[in-house]
Amino acid sequence: MKNSNKPLKWMRKNLLATIGDSLLTLVIVPLLLWASYSLLHWGIGIAKWHAVEENLRVLMVGTFPAELVPQVWIAAAIMSALVGITFGGLVVASVVFSTAATSLLALIALCATYSNESAITYFCGCLAVGVIAHSVSLKVPKVKKYAVLLWCVGFIGISALVAPAGWDRVGGLMMSVLFTLVASVLSVPLGVALAFGRRSKYAGVQVICTFYIEVMRSLPLILVVYCIWVVTPLLSPGYPGPDLVRGLLGFTLFFAAYVAEYVRSGLQSVPKGQIEAAQSLGMTPYYINRDVVLPQALRVVVPALVGNVLDIFNTVPLLFIIGITDFLRAGQMILVNPQSGGYTYEIYLFMFAVYLAIASVITFGARRLEARMAGDHR
Amino acid sequence: MNEIVSIRNLNKAFGPVQVLRGVDLQIGRGEVVVVIGASGSGKSTLIRCINGLEMFQKGRIVVDGCELPCEEEREIGDDKRLTDVRKGVGMVFQQFNLFPHKTVLENITLAPMRVRHKKQKDAEENGMRLLKRVGLQDHALKFPGQLSGGQQQRVAIARALAMDPHVMLFDEPTSALDPEMVREVLDVMRELATEGMTMVIVTHEMGFAREVANRVVFIDRGTVLEAGTPEEIFDNPREERTRSFLSRVLKH
Repeated sequence: MKNSNKPLKWMRKNLLATIGDSLLTLVIVPLLLWASYSLLHWGIGIAKWHAVEENLRVLMVGTFPAELVPQVWIAAAIMSALVGITFGGLVVASVVFSTAATSLLALIALCATYSNESAITYFCGCLAVGVIAHSVSLKVPKVKKYAVLLWCVGFIGISALVAPAGWDRVGGLMMSVLFTLVASVLSVPLGVALAFGRRSKYAGVQVICTFYIEVMRSLPLILVVYCIWVVTPLLSPGYPGPDLVRGLLGFTLFFAAYVAEYVRSGLQSVPKGQIEAAQSLGMTPYYINRDVVLPQALRVVVPALVGNVLDIFNTVPLLFIIGITDFLRAGQMILVNPQSGGYTYEIYLFMFAVYLAIASVITFGARRLEARMAGDHR
Repeated sequence: MNEIVSIRNLNKAFGPVQVLRGVDLQIGRGEVVVVIGASGSGKSTLIRCINGLEMFQKGRIVVDGCELPCEEEREIGDDKRLTDVRKGVGMVFQQFNLFPHKTVLENITLAPMRVRHKKQKDAEENGMRLLKRVGLQDHALKFPGQLSGGQQQRVAIARALAMDPHVMLFDEPTSALDPEMVREVLDVMRELATEGMTMVIVTHEMGFAREVANRVVFIDRGTVLEAGTPEEIFDNPREERTRSFLSRVLKH
């Protein structure tokens, strides 16, 4: 009896509580049903998903040479391991979640060589690596200490695997993900330095940092990226450097200003008594900031910093103005091709789903991280 | 001349508000000095000057043979002399000010490792010894937020002791505590006093003051109005203002 009543009660409370609610329900529910029916009908019956299938390699790795794709697989396995370790040791202790996260990453990689027969094997390999890494870091808490180091080493490995093709040929979703990671990681130390600079007791440092932050925050990203792309060859004539690195420089310099503002708000949230306690123990300003102020400040700004990672990921498509083929751009290139020009909806819907999935994983991880940090010290 | 803290003609203002007006105070080695006075009289400011948490405009403070820089000198940036003084002066705050992101033991070992460059193992050994002394050895791996106020304040005392200070400053150490926790903190302080630690205590616990103090100093409107043994101050105050202050605080 009780159980059968539950859905009725729920409906009453959430859908039909007042006359206004009932009217809204009457309008919205049929509308939603109709929308999902037509989407499903189109998705299963009409849509030609083979268009996505055939172009997967371009979507995933851009113009990356086909013969080097196995190396991308190894890189994907390294990524899976790193994500598994991170989620096991630092963020969440849920196997279900880590499986979902790693399988997503592996799925991305899977798509890269979908047409390849052995892709399924590779995919399962990546998945296994991720899950194993996750359970290892759960069982051996010591791994957590080396997470940062492992990321650095892993990243050097990935770079070494991908680099032989030439940085300008890295594209598609692989490039979007790698670019986001590097830009996010590089902008944090620079942002922290700027935030401290803005609070410096030396007027010169303070003015320069404030000026830099305010200027960057009042310029559009696309302008900064383009300007830096244009200017860098002037700084080192004869060797302009790959477009990707020049774009990375622009993103890092731009987003560091935002990180600086987040970190500054975190620094302000540390009570004065904390600094006084450290001072009264004879600690020097360097150690006070490093051991007392910064850890507490960063804890407060973790959600904002994760939001920053999402911002970077979602603005990577702007790199098209310096000629880099990211995920979105790869999709557009496919549509320009007369052979697959008619599949606009399929390609865009696929990209929509991938963006949504990656963003969901990042926000979900961030929420767990936040909850864990709050729970640790109360 | 066996004094460890020597304050002469100390003047301190917060902007236009003059807080300390010519304070003179000498504190001998091993002496326990309790500072009393109405709120806003400048007693907290006075002891915060001793380890340089507050700047002063005029006068001299010498701690263990080392002179503190005044405001003008600090603007030029004389951090070295300040940290040198602070190494030898422990301070316990009203709000404990433990580091919430570090465990109890890490709270205690941080400064010895960073300032005295002790090895982690030595610092931890010493930290555990101090925790045992304040009766908290079982809580070494907890975070401050998991402890009661009284326990936190005892950790704060152990943290200050870990630097082997020559002087301990207590800024209303029991004012933020629930009544039932005041005793455990006072017990630790009493023990320190009997072991011969030099202590300067700002407190409203008059019974405790009478019991442990070698000397009681009454601060009023930024000056030392009266100083003497607990008997002199509590039983036979010479000044009218001392008398009225004591009658107000001792009534209940």
